[in-house]
Amino acid sequence: MNGNPGPILEVRDLHTQFSTLDGVVRAVDGVSFDVARGETLGIVGESGCGKSVTAMSILRLIPPETGRISSGSIKFEGEELTTLSEEEMKRLRGHRISMIFQEPMTSLNPVLTVGTQIAENVVRHLGVSWKAGRERAFEMLDLVRIADARRRLDEYPHQLSGGMRQRVMIAMALSCDPQVLIADEPTTALDVTIQAQILDLMIELKEKTGTAIVLITHDLGVVAETTERVVVMYAGRKVEQAPVEALFEEPLHPYTRGLMGAIPRLDVEADAAGTRPRLQEIPGLVPILTQPIIGCAFAPRCGFATDRCRSERPPLVDAGAGHLVACWEVDRVRRAA
Amino acid sequence: MTAYIVRRLFATLPVMAVVALFVFFLLRFAPGDPAAIIAGEDATSEAIEAVRAKLGLDRPMVEQFFVWVTQLVRGDMGVSIFSNLPVTRLISQRLEPTVALTLSTLFVAVAMAIPIGVLAAWKVRKWVDRVVMGFAVLGFAMPVFVLAYVLIYFFAVQWQMLPVQGYQPIAQGFWPFVESLILPSLALGITYMALIARTTRASMLEVLSQDYIRTANSKGLATDRVLLLHALKNAAVPIVTVIGIGIALLISGVVITETVFNIPGLGRLTVDAVLKRDYPVVQGLILVFAGAKVLVNLIIDISYAFLDPRIRY
Repeated sequence: MNGNPGPILEVRDLHTQFSTLDGVVRAVDGVSFDVARGETLGIVGESGCGKSVTAMSILRLIPPETGRISSGSIKFEGEELTTLSEEEMKRLRGHRISMIFQEPMTSLNPVLTVGTQIAENVVRHLGVSWKAGRERAFEMLDLVRIADARRRLDEYPHQLSGGMRQRVMIAMALSCDPQVLIADEPTTALDVTIQAQILDLMIELKEKTGTAIVLITHDLGVVAETTERVVVMYAGRKVEQAPVEALFEEPLHPYTRGLMGAIPRLDVEADAAGTRPRLQEIPGLVPILTQPIIGCAFAPRCGFATDRCRSERPPLVDAGAGHLVACWEVDRVRRAA
Repeated sequence: MTAYIVRRLFATLPVMAVVALFVFFLLRFAPGDPAAIIAGEDATSEAIEAVRAKLGLDRPMVEQFFVWVTQLVRGDMGVSIFSNLPVTRLISQRLEPTVALTLSTLFVAVAMAIPIGVLAAWKVRKWVDRVVMGFAVLGFAMPVFVLAYVLIYFFAVQWQMLPVQGYQPIAQGFWPFVESLILPSLALGITYMALIARTTRASMLEVLSQDYIRTANSKGLATDRVLLLHALKNAAVPIVTVIGIGIALLISGVVITETVFNIPGLGRLTVDAVLKRDYPVVQGLILVFAGAKVLVNLIIDISYAFLDPRIRY
């Protein structure tokens, strides 16, 4: 983006597994993607498709009692993260890669002031005094447009609204000028009007600071508005990847098409009786991840599926102009458009 | 906050009144007669009657109660039936060893329990957790007097590191005072340590699964800061509650420990007074104990507001 060589973050063939009573869950099953410097990458998929686990894997925050990265590589600025010591990872978290979460109501510590929670990050990573850390916290609150920021420093999370808390989370995440911000469903828990404000704020700050954003969401509307490239995940696998315009122009994977068919549209004409066509749902259920998936994970729910789909895992192929898709029947899907 | 404290202090008055009423009448309905004890085993019933009249115990019970209460309001707890010394003086003489023992026990218990509980929660289901909590259960199951004699045997008799028994007032030097408290505090404290450690572990475990701990970890904070600030402060309310219950239990536990270690505190005074049916002394002691418990409760309640900003009075 700015002429620097190579992507800031490279994820290669990532596998993350959890041991449960029902067996091993392959939450992330061979996912690869790059994040370019300063870009906004969307990762889309239904609940349980492995998008949050991917994010947690990048920061190595998978609880070691139950889960682990079983194979694959995560490189940040060319440095392999999967083999770093825990202490080195801690130096990275919140400093060069930071994260914001879905639930602003519960993601901030209820018994510590907002100022302390932002300042401790700065003090920890930039080695400044608490006084300087607090001053940075004030600047950050001001930057995320919290009114009366000086006073808010000494307030506790319960004194703030949900939208304000998410602003605090953003202020905290950006306080050390990270190169990558991972936002896991940052607006899902917020009112629609607040959602737009928070997304605008994130994009505006990204332009200002050059931080790359990995935006994880199930909301294709959010993806369309904010991201440059999109990765679509299904059952722990990447099924499609494309620049955002190309994806909405011509989604190539049947699953992506299914997702788009499930969005209510206002531009579809109502018929004489005043009813609009029923929203298309995707038939069937997401596969159980404790059992090995043979072939394409989406095949059991796919109208295009053939015997080959059920027996051989489709590779990701380039359908032109950086549009990758993992589907054997992509030509038929295209013609069916 | 000040208004709340004042209100709470006034609210203790009816509690104390009920305690006074109960202790007075329960004592008099209990079997045993101080006049008979004073008059001696071979005394005639006339002699016992004479003693009773002298002590004013022949008056109607309700009259006796009002005489006592009227004195109480003036800060006078009456005089001991046996020694004729004012009850207030008897109690204040014995107050220092008991307060010292209670506080040092509390210190020992809390200073061991909280690190143990935090460690166990952090290393949950690992061997550290199992070993540490195993010891905690053992400590809880061990009667205070057994533990006390074991400690005396090793530390005082075998290794001669600490005094066997007795109490050194703080006025006679700080080190002898501390030395005389170490074994009793350990013996008494280990039971409470177990209780507080278990609560700390449970409360910490709940907190450690919260979203804000995940946030703290995603900021790359040092483990000690995550555990001791982010988690422990959130886990503190149940822990402080149990410490408060512990203090209340301690007041009764002190009786046994003072006997084993021969410490001249309120516990010993209580045992002696109850055995002799020294009504004014027992009444005064129970009131002091009750007052202490009410005060501890108040302090615990106030501490909640400091630990959790969402709590308002």
